[in-house]
Amino acid sequence: MAAFFGFGQSAEVSIKLDDEEARKLAKIRAEDGTTETHYLFYDGETVSGTVNVTLKKQNQKLEHQGIRVEFIGQIEVYYDRGNQHDFISLTKDLARPGELLQNTSFRFEFPHVEKPYESYVGTNVKLRYFLRVTIVRRLTDIVRELDLIVHTLSSYPETNSNIKMEVGIEDCLHIEFEYNKCKYHLRDVIVGKIYFLLVRIKIKYMEITIIKKESVGTGPNVFNENDTLAKYEIMDGAPVRGESIPIRLFLGGYDLTPTMRDVSKKFSVRYFLNLVLVDEEDRRYFKQQEVTLWRKPDRPPRRALETNAIRDNGEHVEEEERLSEDEEAATNKVSKAVPPHQNGENGESHEAEPVDD
Amino acid sequence: MEAMRIDDTNSVEQEKFLETAVKTVKAEAFEMKRSLDKSKRMDALKHASIMLAELRTGLLTPKYYYRLYIDVVNELNHLESFLLDELEKEKKEESIAELYEHVQYAGTIIPRMYLMITVGVVYMKLMPQMRAELLNDLVEMSRGVQHPLRGLFLRHYLLQVTKSLLPDAAEGVEPAIPGSGTVRDTIDFIKLNFSEMNKLWVRQQHQGPSKEREKRERERMELRILVGTNLVRLSQLEHLTQEVYEKEVLPSILEQVVSCRDPISQEYLMECVIQVFADEFHLATLNEFLASCKELAQEVHIKNVLIALIDRLSLYVSNAVGSNIREEIQLFEIFSAQAEGLIQSRSDMPIEDIVSLHTALVSLAVKCYGEKLAYANTVFLSLANNLKDKQVEGIDMYSHAGKELIRVLRVPVDEYKDVLRVALLTDYPRAMLPLNYRGRCTASAFILQNLIDNETGLKSTDDIDAVCSLIECLLSDQPDQPEDAHDSEEFADELNLIASMIHLIKAEDRDVQFLLLNGLRKRLGAGGKWRIRKTLPPIIFSIYELALNYQQSDGDENWDMKVRKMFVCAMGTIGALITTGEMTQLPLNLYLEGAIVANRIKFSENAMVVYEFISKALSVLEDEIADSRERLSALALVTNSVLKVDCLASENWEPLVGQIILAGSKMFKKADQVRTLCSAASLYWKGKVAESEGELRNGNKVTEILKKSAKVAAQCMEPLVQQQLFVHLLNQYYYFYEDGCTVISPDVLSELISRTRDAAIQLEPSREADDIDQHLQHTLQHIRNTKDKYPELAEKLQI
Repeated sequence: MAAFFGFGQSAEVSIKLDDEEARKLAKIRAEDGTTETHYLFYDGETVSGTVNVTLKKQNQKLEHQGIRVEFIGQIEVYYDRGNQHDFISLTKDLARPGELLQNTSFRFEFPHVEKPYESYVGTNVKLRYFLRVTIVRRLTDIVRELDLIVHTLSSYPETNSNIKMEVGIEDCLHIEFEYNKCKYHLRDVIVGKIYFLLVRIKIKYMEITIIKKESVGTGPNVFNENDTLAKYEIMDGAPVRGESIPIRLFLGGYDLTPTMRDVSKKFSVRYFLNLVLVDEEDRRYFKQQEVTLWRKPDRPPRRALETNAIRDNGEHVEEEERLSEDEEAATNKVSKAVPPHQNGENGESHEAEPVDD
Repeated sequence: MEAMRIDDTNSVEQEKFLETAVKTVKAEAFEMKRSLDKSKRMDALKHASIMLAELRTGLLTPKYYYRLYIDVVNELNHLESFLLDELEKEKKEESIAELYEHVQYAGTIIPRMYLMITVGVVYMKLMPQMRAELLNDLVEMSRGVQHPLRGLFLRHYLLQVTKSLLPDAAEGVEPAIPGSGTVRDTIDFIKLNFSEMNKLWVRQQHQGPSKEREKRERERMELRILVGTNLVRLSQLEHLTQEVYEKEVLPSILEQVVSCRDPISQEYLMECVIQVFADEFHLATLNEFLASCKELAQEVHIKNVLIALIDRLSLYVSNAVGSNIREEIQLFEIFSAQAEGLIQSRSDMPIEDIVSLHTALVSLAVKCYGEKLAYANTVFLSLANNLKDKQVEGIDMYSHAGKELIRVLRVPVDEYKDVLRVALLTDYPRAMLPLNYRGRCTASAFILQNLIDNETGLKSTDDIDAVCSLIECLLSDQPDQPEDAHDSEEFADELNLIASMIHLIKAEDRDVQFLLLNGLRKRLGAGGKWRIRKTLPPIIFSIYELALNYQQSDGDENWDMKVRKMFVCAMGTIGALITTGEMTQLPLNLYLEGAIVANRIKFSENAMVVYEFISKALSVLEDEIADSRERLSALALVTNSVLKVDCLASENWEPLVGQIILAGSKMFKKADQVRTLCSAASLYWKGKVAESEGELRNGNKVTEILKKSAKVAAQCMEPLVQQQLFVHLLNQYYYFYEDGCTVISPDVLSELISRTRDAAIQLEPSREADDIDQHLQHTLQHIRNTKDKYPELAEKLQI
């Protein structure tokens, strides 16, 4: 209808990738929570295809000031929408200014494009890749975009020591926990164990949560967002000294991305394993430990069973740290503890547990 | 009462909790099955997971949790068989592996573990090569459940569903399917599961307020079988070798038992070990097992454990085909040392426990080492010493300790079935001493009863002494004997047993037999008034019996003297009954019996003995019997005895009979005088004396006495009695008349008949009168019947 009144665009633009049939698709969560599916690219892959311009009315010429196609990698911070940051912007001119008299196809190719970051849609930030075709006109340009998804692949980390740590609250609770690695691929299995050295509290249960921390901006304008992606009970009831509780957590079932550090100096996405013990008075004792998530090239051969034995490559760092309590008063006192952690899950309030120092 | 009420409201509450939970289980199970039918496997697992979440409850007591558990497990069984069916059809290795991974995404551990086990079982059934690995995985991952009740049931489920899947292939041999595991894998699996379950079970004790301790102990007892099942499974393994048991399985069980330091667990598990594993295993590990017993908590009723083991092994050893086991392993020495050590180390051990430990030891000694009396004797000695150390005495036989003591005393008696053998246990009587009077008597009584039941013959003085040493308390008054002991039924029963015992004296030689009887008589004679009344008469009868067996001299030159001695002995014994026993009737009878027996034996002094015995009987009658009825019957007995005697010379006979007649005429009642005189009359008719052959048939004397009787009868004032006496006299007269006593004239008879006939009419009608009349009519009828024989009389009587 708009075209009929002369306001609408007088041509349709479509982008067809060269290897659409063979290319894998990937899903990504959109801002509104729905899932979008796009073609999947990796770093260094050539992006090539054809731009088809279809005239709405045959025999009516289309005047333009030039036609170009761009490959853009862009970070968009939600609170600053006007200020998008293109960390990649490649342009190919498809036609010089002139007129199109008939439907026309233009080939394009961006050879071996560098795609350094993974596509990401977060709470406060979005990193996307897309192709944009622009037919420049005097009044309104005709623009066509095609979103692509990029997965960044990593090779198996050279060092992947386990995480072993003794933590506790003096005269109350001492545990030693061990995760078999510090770097996990997205379909990996976390294997570990918790060893109870001292238990003077009545524990109700113990769980592991996976927390995603997204921080956007720099300096005073940092926006942090914590998200609990998984909650996994690993122990029911109160153990006594000497008990060893196994951990086995399959990551494949959760909505995880690789760890991203300081992406284009704009944002970071980091993952933490949070070990939480809850006592009978619902006080929470926790210890967060960052783990690096990475994307493995091929879907790894899946194995439901993973030995409980933790590979000890002798590189783990042993240090004693204090277990934090999920309690502001407590965390303030325990200065060495991990950074203050807002209980972002459901805002339960807990009685303060005095820490005897 | 209050406790009951609390429990009641509690159970109402529990029922309510359970009902709610079961409702959810039912609903989710229904959805689960629907999803399965629609091949929506993931949905089915989701519903199963919600259903299983009900098992996370902390509201239910073990009993109610168990009911919920049973419901849930039923549904899981359904899920398992459905998945097995489906996956078998699919034949895809990955699907089961994926399923096993998938269920591990469950966010809470209880549903996750139950699902893992359920799917794991399907996995193992589809792919036996995964068995060993999966079993290990499941038992390890179950560690996450540290809550005692929930953990116990989870692990029980694990143990139940894997029952048929546990590898049991011999170790060291590659199994048919690689990875399917050997018995080694099963042992490791159960060992771990067992120790974890035991830890949970023990931990249960320490949960909740201390005032609910008893309740918790009760609840724990309800759950013990869950823990014990592990041991049962181990014992069922075909390829669990003795070596592995000895080197590994038992040590690890014992280590767990000892280190948990929980009395309930220790006692139950030790007994469990004894019950479930094979005897050979126990024999091979005896020392290890016993060493652990010492390390158990003080509260453990260790004697139960030890007794169970001893009983089990004694049964085994006594049934063992090759009984060289007894020789190889010093069972008795080991156990008795253990028991002793145990008693020493536990000063607070209750008496009954000490005793029952000895009971087990005695059983072992008696059943397995029957030929080694020293073993059993040692036990009794140690028992006696232990009780002495504890300074216990006067144990009531109905107390726990008393019952146990009686039990231990019974063991050799029942087992040997030979009291003389029991008597060889020289320390046995010492073990009786701690019992009170009644208890000791009871013990002695069952010994005697056994003697009698087995008809154990007593053949020598030693035998008698042996038996007497066991029944000391029955033979004479005891310091702790109650005043009225003789009033009890038991007292009488026990004396009867002694009486029966006397009949078991069966010496091969007559002289010895007398020696035995005489010896026993002396012992029994010291028993006091109440005892000798029952114990001496059988001795006397036995002596009489022996004397009768001694009729012929058989060339024994001392024969006369020996027989005489027997009667002297009998007489003295009877005398004791009179003086000490304060008896009359029975001694009188015994004298008379003695006279008759002596009369039958033709030894030189038999007349003297007979005279002495009868005169003694008469003295008793004169001096001791006052009651006229008793005198009457006693006199009748004497009369009859004299009638039976034929060895007396007239010079001895006359005084005796004279004394009888005198006694008869001194009867207090006229009627009694008549009757005794009547019977005394027959002495002159039927009696015999040494000088003359045959009966005396002294008609003059007879009529004289009868006349005297008639005179006395005439003095009787009561018409009824008088009539009765006259009818009696008529009978007497007619009897002698018929028997040929010519001194009696028909006149006398006719006078008597007319007198009685007349008197009969005079009598006022009454029942008694009828009876007397009847008697008279019978008599007359008899006379009529015999009239043909006596024409003179018939004429006189005109009949």
